[in-house]
Amino acid sequence: MPTVYRKILRYAAAFIAVVTLTFIIPRLMPGDPVINLLGEDSTLSREQVEEIREELGLNKPLILQYGRYWKNIITADFGYSYHYNRKVLELISGRVGWTLLLILPSVIIGGVFGSFLGSRWGWRSEKKLSKAGSAIFLIFYSTPPFFLAMILLYLFSFKLGWFPLKGYYDSGSFRDILLHIILPVSVLSLFSLARNSMIIRGSVIQEKGNLYVLYARAKGLRSRAILIRHVFWNASLPLITIIALDFGFMFSGALFVEMVFSMNGMGTLLYDAVKSLDYPVLQGAFLIISWMIICANAAADLLYSFIDPRLRVHR
Amino acid sequence: MKLRLMMCFALVMIMAGISVWAEGQQELQKKETILKIGTPNEIKSANIFSDYYLGIFAHISNPPLMKMDEKGNLTGLTAEEFEVSEDNKIWTFIIRDNLFWSDGKKVTAEDVVFSVKYTGDHNPNARWIKDTLEKTEVLDGNRAVFHFNKPYTRLNLEFATYNIFPEHVWKNIQDPMKYLNAGLNIGFGPFIIEKIDLDAGTVIFSQNPFWAGEKPSLDGFEIHIYKNSDILSLALEKGDVDTYYKYASSYPYAGLQRLEKTGGFAFSETLNMGLVFLAFNLEKKPFSNPVFREAFSYIINYEELLKLDALGYGKKPNRGFVPPSMGGYMETQALKYDPEKALELFDKAGYTEDKRKDLTLSVLVRSDWNRVAELIQDYLSAVGIVSTVRSLDLNSWAAEKDNFNYDVTITRTTPWGMLMHAGWGTGYYDSRRSGRGVLHSVEDPEFLNLCDIVLGTTDKNRLSELGEEVQDYYARNLPGIPLYWNTIVIPYNKDFTGWKPDPLYGIYNLDTFVTLKKKNNN
Repeated sequence: MPTVYRKILRYAAAFIAVVTLTFIIPRLMPGDPVINLLGEDSTLSREQVEEIREELGLNKPLILQYGRYWKNIITADFGYSYHYNRKVLELISGRVGWTLLLILPSVIIGGVFGSFLGSRWGWRSEKKLSKAGSAIFLIFYSTPPFFLAMILLYLFSFKLGWFPLKGYYDSGSFRDILLHIILPVSVLSLFSLARNSMIIRGSVIQEKGNLYVLYARAKGLRSRAILIRHVFWNASLPLITIIALDFGFMFSGALFVEMVFSMNGMGTLLYDAVKSLDYPVLQGAFLIISWMIICANAAADLLYSFIDPRLRVHR
Repeated sequence: MKLRLMMCFALVMIMAGISVWAEGQQELQKKETILKIGTPNEIKSANIFSDYYLGIFAHISNPPLMKMDEKGNLTGLTAEEFEVSEDNKIWTFIIRDNLFWSDGKKVTAEDVVFSVKYTGDHNPNARWIKDTLEKTEVLDGNRAVFHFNKPYTRLNLEFATYNIFPEHVWKNIQDPMKYLNAGLNIGFGPFIIEKIDLDAGTVIFSQNPFWAGEKPSLDGFEIHIYKNSDILSLALEKGDVDTYYKYASSYPYAGLQRLEKTGGFAFSETLNMGLVFLAFNLEKKPFSNPVFREAFSYIINYEELLKLDALGYGKKPNRGFVPPSMGGYMETQALKYDPEKALELFDKAGYTEDKRKDLTLSVLVRSDWNRVAELIQDYLSAVGIVSTVRSLDLNSWAAEKDNFNYDVTITRTTPWGMLMHAGWGTGYYDSRRSGRGVLHSVEDPEFLNLCDIVLGTTDKNRLSELGEEVQDYYARNLPGIPLYWNTIVIPYNKDFTGWKPDPLYGIYNLDTFVTLKKKNNN
């Protein structure tokens, strides 16, 4: 079977598995979604609870619920959240934009600056600046994002008063939104930058010992040209996979940042859905995040073969 | 060259950031008197009908029929007064004459009847209305009459929580649970909801132009939602918000000293009507044995618990469970720490030292009270009983307690929780009820019968006696033990005066918002 079909088959299998898992996992969580619809201090008779369960279709056998879930996915109907009183698709599309507003700049800043600094520090790993920079980034990378967010917020928002303490905006103007997202984007960017630079640094250190680097030097190429034209491309291969996986990780990383900065994004949506056992939201959010990761991995696959000619030859 | 380009790019980004900050600083301060309330209570949808916390916040824009005053008495709010038939099946609420919706229309008894029926038909939490309300009518233009199929003695209390909606707006909304309105919501309180912006985390209230009662001094107020309590504390300290509100909860005690030091805050202190308590699995040994429960009550060092978990903000509790802040409170015997007596009673219950060694008790705790659970574990250990603590989030805790997978569980009651069902905390124990926070652990016919009698009693004096009987039942049988009666402490900006906290909703009530004044605005 040609590789391309094998890959399509693999992604389709991954999608089916994801859909099934997103159905099963919320139902394995402890708690009763009907009881969770009621407030902490509400009581109903058992008959009334069962009436609500029937209305929500949660009294039906699991296999029927699973079948209906597939039918809904095929018709792009992700269900309705009784906690948010909105269609799940509307809810997610409202939230995903805000989270992408945090994630995309962070991925770009982290990718561009991380590659740049990592390759420089890897190429000249014996320099003091390289060692000091790597040590500082190691600290950032080891710091949990929520803690880093708390520190930055305490310094720049509370002490210095430069930025607001919460939300995506107050007035909603472009300036206002920018002012609100600078700190959370900085936290995510710092984290991504630190990690990417360390990966690239390690790869460059490994690559620069290869014979093709020696050959390039012997040919008379300048040091910077060797780094940019040859070493960097080879060293960047692991980074592509990392960035592809980032889309999933960043949603969870964004959760902590969203919690600290009181932002309504995908992270907090998932967190609240877990807390309240909101099956439709959990299913919809997991599905969309997984779908994004699958797409990002497919894109990474393509990019790999574009950057690394060996992969094209192997087909 | 590329390095220089990168540096330039970074410099431009920094400059842009600084310019944005500088422009932000120049924004003109609003001259209006606005109170800003910070809350960790999460609003999930722009629906004043179905969202739990938005519904509470909407008590100011769409006030319920009744309210609880500062002393805990139920008095009229939208209703001027009420009448009850002798059999307690017919309730008549006389609606105030000077109430107007924010679109200029008069608030009518028809609006009230509509709201009650509508809530019963559509709100899962109010199914009891649908099940028990037989007939409604409007008499003399301002009398809303409700006929129930069974006696309902505490309707005036229930009606202190349900908001009133304009019939002319909501009658056209087929499914109010799915209705969203982030803009102006028609209300008739002194303030109405002007805007609900969940991405900004704010709910904006402005004055109702048709409010005919005492004119409020505030031009409006804002609810600011914080997902993180630590950041909310910083916001208070920084002056971003003027006060703190979390339904049924105090400001974190550990943060009070820090706020006090700023000199900018005063503190409202009221004894909570809810409480932190410990309940037993009465279905299995050893807690099915009342003597064992009695012994258990003496191993707890209540003073230490109060000091360590509530930093001393509160009182040591009595056996009668119900705190003094609740109407109908009866003085019962104080709970006492006496390990010697505990050992004596354990022996009497048949759990001698050897038998106690064989016991391993399962302590199920909601994660908010881990420290309490650790202390209970220590107290048990001191009398030779081994215990395992399982600390769970509310969901998992609810699942475990519904399956009775515990020997002892630690949780809390809310003020409304203490009032629901037959009142005095009965909703937490009655085995016939289901709910997220309730234990439904008492099947004793004496208790269930007592609840039914309370629910069917109309006479106020008799009700008061029954309240005492309920407390006496708790004191004699100990189905649960209150661990402390805590004080709700709310910090507020000293510049605002006129706070009127009530035992049900704390500072968040209509009286507060009407009387609140800012010092330099007098």
